[in-house]
Amino acid sequence: MARTRAKGGAASTTSASKPPALTKKESRYTLPEEMANPPQLFILPKMASSESRVVTLHNPRWSKPTRYLVCPETGFYEFTRIAAPSSTPRSWLIDGARGVVKKGGEEDATDVLANTSEEFQTHITRDGEIFVATPYDPLFIVLPALASDSGKKRMFLSSDDHIDKLAETSPHLQQILRRGKTRPLIEARMAAVCDTVEAGDESMYRLNEAKLLEELLSKARRLSLPKSMEEKFVCKPLEAPVLMRRCQPQPAPSTTETSTEEGLDTPMTEKTESQASISSVSTSDSATTQASVSTAATTPSTEIPEEELITAAMTASPEVLSLQRLRVAFNFIASSYLPPPLAASLKTSLAAAADSKIDFAPLEEYLSKLTKLKQEVLASRAATDYSRKRGGLDDIEDERAEKRRKKEEEDKRKKAGESRGVKNLKKVNVSGMKKMSDFFKKKT
Amino acid sequence: MLEARLDQAEILKKVVDAIKDLVQDCNFDCNDSGIALQAMDNSHVALVSMNLQADSFAPYRCDRNIALGVNLTSLTKVLRAAQNTDILTLRALDAPDSLNLVFESQDKDRISEYDLKLMDIDQEHLGIPETEYAATIKMPSVEFRRICTDLMALSESVTIEASKDGIKFTCSGDIGNGSVTLRQHTNVENEKENIEIELSEPVALTFSLKYLVNFCKAAGLSNTVTICLSNEVPLLVSYALTSKAGSNLRFYLAPKIGDDE
Repeated sequence: MARTRAKGGAASTTSASKPPALTKKESRYTLPEEMANPPQLFILPKMASSESRVVTLHNPRWSKPTRYLVCPETGFYEFTRIAAPSSTPRSWLIDGARGVVKKGGEEDATDVLANTSEEFQTHITRDGEIFVATPYDPLFIVLPALASDSGKKRMFLSSDDHIDKLAETSPHLQQILRRGKTRPLIEARMAAVCDTVEAGDESMYRLNEAKLLEELLSKARRLSLPKSMEEKFVCKPLEAPVLMRRCQPQPAPSTTETSTEEGLDTPMTEKTESQASISSVSTSDSATTQASVSTAATTPSTEIPEEELITAAMTASPEVLSLQRLRVAFNFIASSYLPPPLAASLKTSLAAAADSKIDFAPLEEYLSKLTKLKQEVLASRAATDYSRKRGGLDDIEDERAEKRRKKEEEDKRKKAGESRGVKNLKKVNVSGMKKMSDFFKKKT
Repeated sequence: MLEARLDQAEILKKVVDAIKDLVQDCNFDCNDSGIALQAMDNSHVALVSMNLQADSFAPYRCDRNIALGVNLTSLTKVLRAAQNTDILTLRALDAPDSLNLVFESQDKDRISEYDLKLMDIDQEHLGIPETEYAATIKMPSVEFRRICTDLMALSESVTIEASKDGIKFTCSGDIGNGSVTLRQHTNVENEKENIEIELSEPVALTFSLKYLVNFCKAAGLSNTVTICLSNEVPLLVSYALTSKAGSNLRFYLAPKIGDDE
């Protein structure tokens, strides 16, 4: 179990948070004033030692100071804020009496009152937030320094020189490096993505993008996507449109003209067209199963179970699925931990098949096939939609009327949002008046 | 997340009332310094710019820059539900599709809440440089409105002439012509009635009265109006929104040049 501990607000936990004095007669319901520095809830990893400190470091992705938990023994942790959506506000009730923060053992009531500045009062937090510390690869912290001079040729530099580049944006870094195993840890992570050279008793490092790419890919492989992400980014994009393979008696019915002719003289028009077939695969031999319409009974029926007829046009092979998963995971890492320019350059080098360790070709092939298929389906669906409505005789006219109607509607809506004053101003003679943009320049 | 509480709904009501006859839709740009608005009329000859500094609200909170695209007619409909003295609270998410408005009556026994759907408005922003104007006139806003409406009965446009004699509004139309002259004037008892003229060089410019009358709808916002003129630049008509500096409603209008009718 992870430890829960309330933090912050130690100094400012003053009388402000005391319950309202009962002597106050005029209002029984006055709330205590809000604390300037309210306590917050953290879940800290069990592995982290008591020497751990919260430090402010430069976030490599968003280029702004961000808090991290650094343990001299086990490494870096990042904080993830978990909060209820603002539509359903939540709060924490923190019980001060049994809080871990409590220092003295047995104190009587007067003691507690005297010690309010030390003591943590029972408290309700305004936002039901919780901060969870999860392990973080310090590689990402030093990466901006390693990749900083991408334009020039990169030089072999000692780890100190690399870390010095970060000193300005992450002033805490120098201090935490002096403690425990932090420095060896960072150097080990640097070595994983750098070419190294021994110079005297010091190692010199130079970023190797191929190594970095490999390192990230191995991270991406280990990453197991949560179900919601898996569904949205892996399964959904690979889904093919569903096809109904039930077909009309005559071949190639998907064009409007044929279905119109058909529609005019046979009684089964509505039925066939409402079940508009989308693909004409295996048209000629598979027969209709419309038993209810007697006129169709002339065709020989080779009863195919209905369920089998409705199938997705193509399914992704496990290989394609795993490639897509990998790509999503890689993009996720790149977009949440890497500096944007580096992420972009890595993505392009990943796409370039030559120096990447993995071949995305099957996935690409599948995706291009899929887009083609989707377009086809869209086209045929559009065609069948018109024929369904009015036998497709005047669909061009229909389209025009539709457009006109839409335009009128929009105009009407626009007019409704227009005040009388605006309408009147349209009639004003503006000859001789220059446009505002002639006087004031556009802001960029 | 935006949360802004205005002690008097009156200010927003009047601002929207004043500009809804000039522009149809506009963006309210919210950032940590306050709420601003810039929009042009359909023919792009007039520009309105509003600034409500964060200190006009209590409290004011805006974490990200948010553009609230609003149809002003719709906003008027909602604001009509607010009393002038109501406490108004504006709320919006970081990427909002609606704006939440809450009106509380002063004694807090009535709370009404409205959500207004927002729209995406593509608006270009113009940078307005600080300008040293040749003439700056401060006068009661009611007086300015009266001059404009009086002269509009005669003509479409007015010539404003600032010289050391004072400031002269002239117009001429089919039925005749007319003029109003104002001189520097200090009222000891009621300084709202003061007319102050600062002049560095004489200037004469012609403007469309329809637009000026439109600007004067903001007269209810402030007792005094400041009018600034210079050759070759738009006229500035400015109303203060609160007693603190920085919150104001400004109108710019391009002068009529050439073909005088």
